[in-house]
Amino acid sequence: MSLTLFLSQVVPVRQKLYRFAYRLLENEEDAMDVTQDALMKVWQQQERMTDLQNMEAWCMRIVRNLALDKLKARKYRRSEELDRAGDMPAQHQPNPHAAAEQQDVMNNVHRIIAALPEKYRTIIQLRDIDGYSYQEIAEILSVEMSEVKINLHRARKTVREQLQKLQVYGV
Amino acid sequence: MEFNKVRELLDRYWDGTSTLEEEEALRSFFSRDIANLPADLKEAQPLFSYFAAERDIPMPVFPDIEIAVAQPQTPARPVKQMIWQHWMKYAAVLLIAVGIGYAIRQAESRHDQIAVAVSEQDTFDDPEKAFAVTQKALQLLSRNLNKGTAQMQKLAYFNEATEKIKAN
Repeated sequence: MSLTLFLSQVVPVRQKLYRFAYRLLENEEDAMDVTQDALMKVWQQQERMTDLQNMEAWCMRIVRNLALDKLKARKYRRSEELDRAGDMPAQHQPNPHAAAEQQDVMNNVHRIIAALPEKYRTIIQLRDIDGYSYQEIAEILSVEMSEVKINLHRARKTVREQLQKLQVYGV
Repeated sequence: MEFNKVRELLDRYWDGTSTLEEEEALRSFFSRDIANLPADLKEAQPLFSYFAAERDIPMPVFPDIEIAVAQPQTPARPVKQMIWQHWMKYAAVLLIAVGIGYAIRQAESRHDQIAVAVSEQDTFDDPEKAFAVTQKALQLLSRNLNKGTAQMQKLAYFNEATEKIKAN
């Protein structure tokens, strides 16, 4: 029955869907909207639920499509630096200098990842942050598994080169 | 974990051939604060720290879908409405129809009155002026008629010629 399936397989992955949407949109409200829209869409297509082998991948695919649509529609302007400036914890830390340095490193890595093409970025996030297998990533992105492997290799290679540059030249 | 083992895993990681378990091992290795980390391993440390931090993004409070879905709402009873309750609609339609009909009749009668008035009205008060204008109009008519006759004369030549040819 689709209601049981929905409650047991779709609702529990809401957090994953939200995280995925958040990383694509970099905005909490939009990510929440996209997550809710995706759940609505899944529920509207409930007759397909029983035919699907990997419900989670299907949901993730819907989230990705909706998030990309939103990005395209709104011509997102990324003001990540300003956004993240407000995220700095305002608590007393034992070593503020080290904390600031650590934040700086994080921002640099974030910039490197964000500068990747969308396909590479999504693959690296799905694999290294969410821990999905190659097969699952292939299903989410509707591509061949070999393509996932190649793109992941290229994405990591690019990231590594940028990290090395950062370490050597500090840029 | 030994550094050499980490190096081996990292090589596989950069090549894109590492398994999920190996990547998890790398993540847990880099999550620890190691003081004397070799330089070649240091390059990967920010990346794995970043991945760990990204896993902990704050989650919003999701609405309780379970309750909303599990309790289907009872459909609202349709409100019965009698036909006579819509009397204003019918009255408005009737009023518009009557209005349009009246306007058409008015327009027609006015048109007829104007036509009669025009036909009964004389163009000129002075008979001499009327005669001059009539003469002028007739002259114009005759001039144009003569033009037509001249053209017809040419056609007559053609007819004669064709008849002669036919006769031969």
